[in-house]
Amino acid sequence: MTLVPEAYVVPLTLFSPLVFGVLAWLFDRDWVRETLGVIGAAVPLTVLSLAYEKASSGTISYTIDTGVFKLHFVLNSLSWYFAFIGALVGIAMAFGLSSTSRRGYDWLFSLMSFTGVMGVFLARDFVSLFLFWELMTFGSFMMVLRRNRHESLKYFVLSVIGAYSMLLAIGMVYAKTGTLDYAMASQTLLLLTKMGGVSKAYVDTIFALFLLAFGVKAGVVPLHVWAPGAYGENDQSYTSFFSGVLSKAGVYGFIITLFVMPSLYGIYFAMGTFHGHLTGTYLIAWAGAVTVVVASFLAVLQEDIRKLLAYSSVGQVGYIILALGVFNGVAVGGAMFHVLSHAMFKGLFWLISAALILRTGKTRFEDFGGLAEKMPVTFAMALIAVLSLAGIPPMAGFASKWLIYEGAIQAHMPLVAGTIFLGSALAFAYVVRFLYAVWFGQRPSDLDDVREAPLPLLVGMTVLAIPNIVFGIAPGLAVRLINRFFNTNITVNSYYSISTPTGTYNALSVTLVLIVGLAIAGLVYIYGANARKIKVTNTYQSGNPVTEEYNLVIRRNFYRPLAEALDFWLKYSWDRFYERLANLSEDFADWLREGFYNGNVQSYSWYLAIILLILAIWGVL
Amino acid sequence: MDERKDFGENDGVIHYELQEFKLFEPLFKWARKKSLWIVAFCTGCGGIEMPPLATARYDFERFGIMPNPAPRMADLFLITGYVTPKTLKRIIITYEMMQDPKYLLAHGSCPINGGVYWDSYNVVKQLDKYIPIDVAIAGCMPRPEAVMDGIMEIMRKIETGEADGWKRYRENYEYYRRNQDKLFGEGWREKEAKRWLAWI
Amino acid sequence: MFDWRLILDAIGILIYALIVGFIFMGIERKAMARIQRRIGPPIYQPIIDTLKLLGKKESVSHGFVYNFGPVFALGVSITALLFIPIANFQLFSSNADLIVVAYLLEVPMLGIMLGAMSSGNPYSALGVQRGLLTMVAMQLPYGLAIIALVQHWGTFKLSQLVALQQLQGWSITVPALALAFIVFDIVFQALLGLEPFDIITAPAEISMGPMVEYGGKHAALLFTQHAVQLFAETAFFAVLFFGGASNLLDLFLKQLLVLFIAIFVASIYPRFTIDQAAKFFWKWPTIIGIIAVLLTV
Repeated sequence: MTLVPEAYVVPLTLFSPLVFGVLAWLFDRDWVRETLGVIGAAVPLTVLSLAYEKASSGTISYTIDTGVFKLHFVLNSLSWYFAFIGALVGIAMAFGLSSTSRRGYDWLFSLMSFTGVMGVFLARDFVSLFLFWELMTFGSFMMVLRRNRHESLKYFVLSVIGAYSMLLAIGMVYAKTGTLDYAMASQTLLLLTKMGGVSKAYVDTIFALFLLAFGVKAGVVPLHVWAPGAYGENDQSYTSFFSGVLSKAGVYGFIITLFVMPSLYGIYFAMGTFHGHLTGTYLIAWAGAVTVVVASFLAVLQEDIRKLLAYSSVGQVGYIILALGVFNGVAVGGAMFHVLSHAMFKGLFWLISAALILRTGKTRFEDFGGLAEKMPVTFAMALIAVLSLAGIPPMAGFASKWLIYEGAIQAHMPLVAGTIFLGSALAFAYVVRFLYAVWFGQRPSDLDDVREAPLPLLVGMTVLAIPNIVFGIAPGLAVRLINRFFNTNITVNSYYSISTPTGTYNALSVTLVLIVGLAIAGLVYIYGANARKIKVTNTYQSGNPVTEEYNLVIRRNFYRPLAEALDFWLKYSWDRFYERLANLSEDFADWLREGFYNGNVQSYSWYLAIILLILAIWGVL
Repeated sequence: MDERKDFGENDGVIHYELQEFKLFEPLFKWARKKSLWIVAFCTGCGGIEMPPLATARYDFERFGIMPNPAPRMADLFLITGYVTPKTLKRIIITYEMMQDPKYLLAHGSCPINGGVYWDSYNVVKQLDKYIPIDVAIAGCMPRPEAVMDGIMEIMRKIETGEADGWKRYRENYEYYRRNQDKLFGEGWREKEAKRWLAWI
Repeated sequence: MFDWRLILDAIGILIYALIVGFIFMGIERKAMARIQRRIGPPIYQPIIDTLKLLGKKESVSHGFVYNFGPVFALGVSITALLFIPIANFQLFSSNADLIVVAYLLEVPMLGIMLGAMSSGNPYSALGVQRGLLTMVAMQLPYGLAIIALVQHWGTFKLSQLVALQQLQGWSITVPALALAFIVFDIVFQALLGLEPFDIITAPAEISMGPMVEYGGKHAALLFTQHAVQLFAETAFFAVLFFGGASNLLDLFLKQLLVLFIAIFVASIYPRFTIDQAAKFFWKWPTIIGIIAVLLTV
């Protein structure tokens, strides 16, 4: 704590991205802009790392007095955990942006949303939560707006719905309690409920409105429709932050609602149970389960790399929501861990897609192929990301998913747990689609001069790839952090080994045995004849010779049989439903407008007369 | 891109190092004899003699023989009948795809001397000019017993090391290659591949 | 530092599993042959096949991933094996539990597919697609069967599962778990890649699917992997539903029982297409699985 005085920790974390973003926008020159941006993203990470001791043992609070409201920020172990993940992905994003973006505009708004998300994680009262939430949404909205108006509008409309419901909920809390601090509001609300000052329906409404607001950001089905467009039509380096961290702000909101404001869920205890589960959290678990299944199925059937990753993001956040809804220590611990591992592997995935799009300029799977030879380092990173997402031990993605499995099964939510199994198989399917279409097979001739990704992007990828392996082999590290702020019921035997009440996972022994197994297999391999490399066209096609001129890779509709098996369900789409709803309301508005503004002066005078009459009856006049 | 690199002699089909397993060679030799996998590539009319061989009556699986659809793993190539130039191209490509050691069994009179198609314009009269044959079975058609006998002969030859068609193909590649090119014309693989594009 | 006893046990079990796995593959072929009224190959035939493949004098490769795929598959299969309690040998099973093993048993498929895809052969790609879709289809009933089991016994630890079953009777004697057993057995057919779910390799259709480009030592590795995997999967089945085993002979008999059920089913049924398989798995096995989990809640 000698390096950064305690008083500066929070403001540095909060505002340095924004300040440096504005500077990068003002000094819009090559190198200057990138340097400023990377510094802006690096400051929070450095400060947070230095503040680890203090934040994990106590709290660092900071207040801004605006005259009207006091904005409270607190860095405790919970907010440190989330903010640190955000900062880690943020620095990777900054490295990525310095390769993929040449505009001050991108730096300004991406760093603005960085500040926003930090504010959301550190906020301790509703006003600062709301302000920074809107800052974050605004920054990300501007990023989408520049590239695709239609998608940005979709994002905008849903965000506005979320923002209004949050504002309404905050207003409802304030109206009854007169305070905006989480803890105070929560306690007062609890007292009021007990004394009967607040009806149960009132609290239910607050709860539902909060969940709606946070659900939009987390992309819970059916509020996910903005995600594929907004994640896809964006600078992919920024999307690594958008999908890796901004969606976690939604998750963080769920955590606030469930744990930081315990009265809300305390009241939910009163809402009764359903077959031994709290009804409220049971609904959240099912929302998560539906999200996992729907989004993963849709991810499998996508033909565009960005859409696939976007739906996969939605699905993976669904795991987190599901685990929060399962609501026992192990599952919530798993959810927190999955926040970390999802941010790491999905951020990595988006950086890889940024590299691919930067180097090839293509996004659809049918235009890719055979890039493993051209971009070997990026391919190695992709392999790490794939193994982690698919949940292969010993990767971080496995450890977190393992905890969610254990939690869900222990909680006796069998069908919810069943959807995790289904979701993980679907995850296998879509990552293999990604691997096959992009990296293997014949290379289209126009990709022959593709080069390796630029160095800053590779640095960004490495920043995200290392935690995938480290937290995979040493899950105890992450669980120890989580145990600081939440009693997860998970025992940390050592850095490498964690235990739940019913099971044990020793990542180090899995790793070691895996290495031994690979060594044995490698020995068999080495004993055999030396392999000589042959061309990709030298394959068995029932004896027919093959040329490079026709690409034999299955490029479109790779999972056609699945689509056929699901054709009944694929007829329905939330996206189309909303579009239709939008069209209907547009038509209705048109009809209204044409009906009223008919250009007839006489009817306008009638309107005036009717309004005056109404006002007179109401007693205003 | 250099077209010859795709299909020419330098494609590494023939020029590569072989592994010698000094210590375990006798064991491998025994295994090769006892486990002959057939490329499921039936040419001509002899293909119909395969089902009786595979089914309950003769059951070649008891000698470890198994039809295998993938040539990379297979050891034994049965030419089951007459060979037209069109088929021969596929046979050569598939044969080159099989991994050494590999054996070739010609089935019936046609691969030996054209058989009843001795005066046909479109039948390859002497298969041995294009790829090396290890054992040839005479007959039109040879009965399954005769085929079994031929397979036994191959097994015996593998044991004694006489089944060396794959070695001969490597050593005399120029000769085989010349004959193939004479029949199909230079650069036939490439032409064939391009002609095939029309089908897809 | 080192637990020499454990390491020796592991090596011994590995060799035993390899041999028995090969013998199981041989039994599979032999039994199929006997059902078709043929004599069939000797039961040690897969060992000869693997030796022959290993003894191929040349080997081709499509690049690093193509080589890495089979090595990875075999490595993970060995790992999975060592985390299952085999008879009275606990091996590493105290360090990992059911979910870990269930995952590890699926990962080799990913390894094979990784290699197969990198060959660029469209038959391989079709095989990969079919393999993954089978996996997607079977995962729901598979998961439900495992959940039913865990809910009933209340533990994820395989060694405890065995101990509990030896105290209170095998899993299949519990009515709800008998339903789970039915589901698991149907899924098992797909896990082993036998008919009616041998959509992945489909020899007469897509030339062995993922294996089409593999030959020589790569194929030998895949054969070895299949042997280890077969042993591990049957042992896993025996541990889950037949109370594990107290000695290797006991385990062998139980594995054989499981294997023979699979063989008999396989030799009767023709092959599903992939969407039929998906629809099948999502109908009856899933319904039975849901009943099983609801009974054990």
